[in-house]
Amino acid sequence: MPWTNQNGGGQPKGPWGQGPAPGGVRPPDFESLLRKAWDEVRRFVPEGSLGRRGMTVIGVIAFGLWLLSGVYTVDPKEQGVVLRFGKFVEHTGSGMHWHLPWPIETAYTPNVTDANQIDIGYKVSTDKNNPSGADDVPDESYMLTGDENIVDMHFTVYWRIKDANAFLFNVDLNLGKQDDVVKAVAESAMREVVGQDHMDEIMTSDREQIQLKVKRLMQQTLDSYKAGILVTEVKMQKAEPPNEVREAYLDVQKALADQERKRNEGEAYANAIIPQARGDAAHILQDAEAYKQQMIAEATGEASRFLSVYQEYKKAPQVTRQRIYLETMSRVLAPMNKVIVDDSAKGVVPYFQLPAPPKTAAPARPQQPQQPPQQPSNEQVTVSPGDQGGGP
Amino acid sequence: MNRALGLSVAVGVLLVLGILISCVYTVAQTQEVLLVQFGAPVAQVDAPGLHFKSPLQRAYFFDRRLLNLDAPSEEVIALDKKRILVDAFARWRIVDPLLFYQTQDNLDQATGRLKPILSSSIREVLGSQDFAAMLSGRRSALMRQIRDKMNHDVKAFGIVIADVRIRRADLPQENSLAIYQRMQKEREREAAEYRAQGDEINQRIRARAEREVTVIKAEASSQAAILRGQGDAEKTRITAQAYSQDPGFFAFYRSMQAYQDSLPGSNTTVILSPKSDFFKYFGEGPGGGSGRK
Repeated sequence: MPWTNQNGGGQPKGPWGQGPAPGGVRPPDFESLLRKAWDEVRRFVPEGSLGRRGMTVIGVIAFGLWLLSGVYTVDPKEQGVVLRFGKFVEHTGSGMHWHLPWPIETAYTPNVTDANQIDIGYKVSTDKNNPSGADDVPDESYMLTGDENIVDMHFTVYWRIKDANAFLFNVDLNLGKQDDVVKAVAESAMREVVGQDHMDEIMTSDREQIQLKVKRLMQQTLDSYKAGILVTEVKMQKAEPPNEVREAYLDVQKALADQERKRNEGEAYANAIIPQARGDAAHILQDAEAYKQQMIAEATGEASRFLSVYQEYKKAPQVTRQRIYLETMSRVLAPMNKVIVDDSAKGVVPYFQLPAPPKTAAPARPQQPQQPPQQPSNEQVTVSPGDQGGGP
Repeated sequence: MNRALGLSVAVGVLLVLGILISCVYTVAQTQEVLLVQFGAPVAQVDAPGLHFKSPLQRAYFFDRRLLNLDAPSEEVIALDKKRILVDAFARWRIVDPLLFYQTQDNLDQATGRLKPILSSSIREVLGSQDFAAMLSGRRSALMRQIRDKMNHDVKAFGIVIADVRIRRADLPQENSLAIYQRMQKEREREAAEYRAQGDEINQRIRARAEREVTVIKAEASSQAAILRGQGDAEKTRITAQAYSQDPGFFAFYRSMQAYQDSLPGSNTTVILSPKSDFFKYFGEGPGGGSGRK
């Protein structure tokens, strides 16, 4: 055996590496089979009389077998197509049928209901670690778009036979490789459609439309071949930027997210400072309102104090005036250092030692009596009572 | 003698059988047949089924189906000097078996001859166009053009090209790299733009918010000033109303208050004249004062 294991194990292995069939079944030995069959025949046919009768029996059996070879079955999914001397004669439905045996008639039974699936741009992955379950076939999946970008696309085409005769007789479908023909048409149609569209739309909004267009274009092409094939569906699996630039595309998504984040940050800031400002404004207004009320209250108080005093003063003006004057002066003068100088002693004044004047004179605010100067005043006041205008 | 007779009968039977078999031929649904007698074509049979011919004639079978022609993928230079990898296929059929028989030996040879014709037609048509034409609605027109061009060239072969389709038209690897770079740059630009727009939006929102804050505060301040003014006015009105009852007394009374409020310090030194009203009785005794004033 040419594929006998080379590593000295002595165990014969099949060409695909499997061991010998279990139970040691050997391939049928033709010679022994023939001999057995011959023995069987001999048992029925008496020794010596094999000549004419024997030949007849064999001939009848062979003829019967030949006739039986015309039996065929048609599955519910299939359609029987019978040819006589190469010429189409009839269609047969599901069930068991018989046609005149070869070489007079032959029958084909193409499957006319099952959809055939063709994956383009990918192969079903054999690697279980691949989460998408599809292996890229870059030659098929990378396509140029209308704006000269490259899109990585996987799509699947489903087709079935719509006219068995056309399918069998009109196009050289490389028997058994019909998928190749449909695939070539599909690729050509997809590239034509993709070549007229823009990358961004292909990946997003135009998917539906592309599927329809490709399906229509494929059908047109196949119909022009009279191939008897119906394209039932074109499905785009994925349409993405190629691996080489995927990072950049992902970054665009990230940038959009960043933009949203910045907007939210800005709004959060606005939402923080505006209510704060409204609060501050309310505070300012309340302060002002308070000041207004305070002023009114104070004025009312002061006025009524004055009026009260005035009411009493009117009754005895002279005395009251004198009393107020004296009371005030005594209160004012009590804590002061007092120097009493007689006008006649004119010479004293020039020699009087004045204390150093304060560096900055505190501005006097006689208008605001509610803010009396708190610090002990160090100022020099010269009162010349003789000049006092009114006097009590 | 007997044996020789038997042998010759057998040979005769075989001969007759052979001749009979050579008189019969079948035409499949997918075929057509050319009958040739002594090298001269005598008939063309299109109908499928069982047919008879003279044993002197030879039957040549031709495929009448649409046949496939795959061109190897090759580089084509477009008018704008861009190189394209084109992978195309054609569908063709034999329409004139006699012409085909005269010019081609068999299908394989025909395929071999068609390939360079397909290839040169592609070069010629695509070479006269900018690459961009491939990526536009003109693609199908170009494919038709290639087909017509081929048909012109293969007319003498008894062949018709039913369809030429460009399966793939891609840029070679090094151009693809350039495209990837451009795509990359474009995406980067887009991303940068989005980010910058994000900053812009952020600034805009902040600035608007700050403006609003300033306005809110300013309006409040303005309102506050009005209120304070009203307060001051009210105060002025109320006090004026009271004080104007006796302006003279008010001046005295208020002065007294002012002295008291403004001269509280103990460090203040005051120089007084004994002649002031305050000291009226200080120097002159209880009887004083009458002489003054």
